[in-house]
Amino acid sequence: CCSSSSVSLSFVVSSPLIQALAREGIQAVMVGKGGEAAASAQHKEEHEEDGDMVGVVKLISAEGFEFVIDKKAAMVSNTLRNMLTSPGGFAETREGEVRFPEISTAILEKICQYFYWSLHYASGKETAEFPIEPEITLELMMAANYLDT
Amino acid sequence: MSGGGPPRKRNFKIEAFKHRVELDPKYAERTWKVLEHAIHEIYNHNASGLSFEELYRSAYNMVLHKYGEKLYNGLESTMTWRLKEISKSIEAAQGGLFLEELNAKWMDHNKALQMIRDILMYMDRTYVPTSHRTPVHELGLNLWRDHIIHYPMIHGRLLDTLLDLIHRERMGEVINRGLMRSITKMLMDLGPAVYQDDFEKPFLEVSASFYSGESQEFIECCDCGNYLKKAERRLNEEMERVSHYLDAGSEAKITSVVEKEMIANHMHRLVHMENSGLVNMLIDDKYEDLGRMYTLFRRVPDGLSTIRDMMTSYLRETGKHLVTDPERLKDPVEFVQCLLNEKDKHDKIINVAFGNDKTFQNALNSSFEFFINLNNRSPEFISLYVDDKLRKGLKGATEEDVEGILDKVMMLFRYLQEKDVFEKYYKQHLAKRLLSGKTVSDDAERSMIVKLKTECGYQFTSKLEGMFTDMKTSQDTMQDFYAKKSEELGDGPTLDVHILTTGSWPTQPSPPCSLPPEILAVCEKFRGYYLGTHSGRRLTWQTNMGTADIKATFGKSQKHELNVSTYQMCVLMLFNTSDGLSYKDIEQATEIPSTDLKRCLQSLACVKGKNVLRKEPMSKDISEDDTFYFNDKFTSKLVKVKIGTVVAAKESEPEKQETRQRVEEDRKPQIEAAIVRIMKSRRVLDHNSIVSEVTKQLQARFLPNPVIIKKRIESLIEREFLERDKADRKLYRYLA
Repeated sequence: CCSSSSVSLSFVVSSPLIQALAREGIQAVMVGKGGEAAASAQHKEEHEEDGDMVGVVKLISAEGFEFVIDKKAAMVSNTLRNMLTSPGGFAETREGEVRFPEISTAILEKICQYFYWSLHYASGKETAEFPIEPEITLELMMAANYLDT
Repeated sequence: MSGGGPPRKRNFKIEAFKHRVELDPKYAERTWKVLEHAIHEIYNHNASGLSFEELYRSAYNMVLHKYGEKLYNGLESTMTWRLKEISKSIEAAQGGLFLEELNAKWMDHNKALQMIRDILMYMDRTYVPTSHRTPVHELGLNLWRDHIIHYPMIHGRLLDTLLDLIHRERMGEVINRGLMRSITKMLMDLGPAVYQDDFEKPFLEVSASFYSGESQEFIECCDCGNYLKKAERRLNEEMERVSHYLDAGSEAKITSVVEKEMIANHMHRLVHMENSGLVNMLIDDKYEDLGRMYTLFRRVPDGLSTIRDMMTSYLRETGKHLVTDPERLKDPVEFVQCLLNEKDKHDKIINVAFGNDKTFQNALNSSFEFFINLNNRSPEFISLYVDDKLRKGLKGATEEDVEGILDKVMMLFRYLQEKDVFEKYYKQHLAKRLLSGKTVSDDAERSMIVKLKTECGYQFTSKLEGMFTDMKTSQDTMQDFYAKKSEELGDGPTLDVHILTTGSWPTQPSPPCSLPPEILAVCEKFRGYYLGTHSGRRLTWQTNMGTADIKATFGKSQKHELNVSTYQMCVLMLFNTSDGLSYKDIEQATEIPSTDLKRCLQSLACVKGKNVLRKEPMSKDISEDDTFYFNDKFTSKLVKVKIGTVVAAKESEPEKQETRQRVEEDRKPQIEAAIVRIMKSRRVLDHNSIVSEVTKQLQARFLPNPVIIKKRIESLIEREFLERDKADRKLYRYLA
């Protein structure tokens, strides 16, 4: 039943995280320095709202957990980037917070970790593996598709 | 994930999607309504209440659940509807507000479009490429184009408004350039084709007719200089216009319209314009106008050649007039100075106004070459000019000045076709300078020789250099002569002999006159000395080329030193023994050729202030019946009196004929040598080829006449250097 339902979803495997997930497959187990980056994601203080790239943004999970991360990190997601830069002032831009009624806390946390990991290592100068627990792989994949990450 | 928010499941179940779809058949319709509403709100500037995340998620889900097409079509029809509304409001805008309204709506639409694209990004990313639809942004632009720009009530009005504004700006009004900039940018954003078809093409057409009319008007009432100023200003205005509010790609097109209408179409009329055209500009040294003409005409095809042709024909005509004007021919120095001035003037024009254009320089050179050679006395005159400069003209001039003048002369020299004629004259003039010690600066003389050498090679100057060598050896010889023979000579007159190598000097064979006995004695002593040291040589006295310093005592016992020619000395010495002598007596006693004698007497008796002889009857000219007396009453403020010979600086007609004949004579061996050289390498050649090859070889020295070449060939055949081919009479063969 697993496979049949995933087939019905037409994913376009294009974004880096999805590609990483696809590479790792279900067996994804990794250890690395990625964890350090995730630590900073937990900071819930500091609330500045400046230009496009500076400041922080609050991401709220389905269960109501709030993650305050740097805008710079949020911009790793194209969806968030568009959301935060779109003209005309949508509610999210004004309030500096985004609710994700369809993303669970655990996944959102992982996503935030990924943002920082990507910010840090995407340049390719240093490398470290990003740990993905197999049991969240599919959910993470769908979130990645949604966020265009 | 997007399927739903239930907490983590250890074993994945994703049936949530299907559930929702199945549960809610109206799901798509409802979701679309949310989005449709949002689009309207965005157009209404009411987006602040909307949640991006919600809209994005809605669109995402629609696409994910295969309602992409519905979403896309819905978007298209909603946007179309909005644009139709917008078109009505633009159409309703009155007069000047029309563009403003259009621009404002365009800005709105752009912004809305961007927001819509952002929330529908997922559709753009997945649905659009797979189903080959137009991306949202492009769709928005296309709809704007079709429903606004191409809307009949807007389309024509927009074009008219734009063209009208540009016309008003051309007529001096100030228009809102920022607005124009936005509108043209909008057209470009809609695609270059929209800009070109809906604006640029008609714009160029209207501009063409505008400038065609204006240029017609200007050319009727302006002179050439003013017309060019106006044209230049128009051109700059158009370029400025492009930079301010048109697309950069239009610049080349609009400038070419202005160039064609204002310049190319009137080019010939402008250049020929009476009292103000090119010729007048050249005459009056209007550097600014000429420069303007150059830069403008350069932009159009054949523009520069039009100027160049006109300039060439003007130069040729004035040059021809200059070199054939009998007034000018009276003074060779003035004549050459005139040529140099003319050259300087046009050099400066080409330098200042025509950007030192090589083709113009060439045109100038070829014009000079053309007219300088129209007058066959040019070589002589140029040599005379140098003569004048080297005799006195360069006194006090710095080395650079001298070099400058000589360089200019060399420039004229280069134009000469008959360089050998120049050489002939230069030799004559140089000989006179050297023998009479009139040279101002030895350095200048040598510098000139070096220049000729670099220009024409060693052969050309070897004889000239030989003359300098002779001068030097003569000096040494004379020193030696006096060192060895001084006691033998006693108190007699001092002799200074120049030994001239035959061939190097332009000596004309002239019978020596009979020298006074005192002089003759010294001469004989020198002859004895010289032939004693150099065996096997022959000395001939050239009495026509020497000078003498004599002391004379006049009536009230004033003493003067007279500087005269050898001939004059011979004549004056006769008056030591008698007071009055007839022309015939003098001629008999001195044996001076009659033309030279007449000249010499004329300078002794007919020049005011230098008339050491008195002539009866008094008149300007010497006749064979005149009688001459020693002029007791001669006075002069100077102790040294220099009595020049009345020599026409330039040659008289018969002398000229003679020189020419000698030149022709000298050319014969050169032509023959050239023919033999060519035939030796080619063995067989037809007549015409020989003529052209010979001409090419000798070009540097002179332009051989084909008829003379033919004669030389015939002569060579006679002397069995060549023979005619037996089969083809036009072919010649070389006989080794």
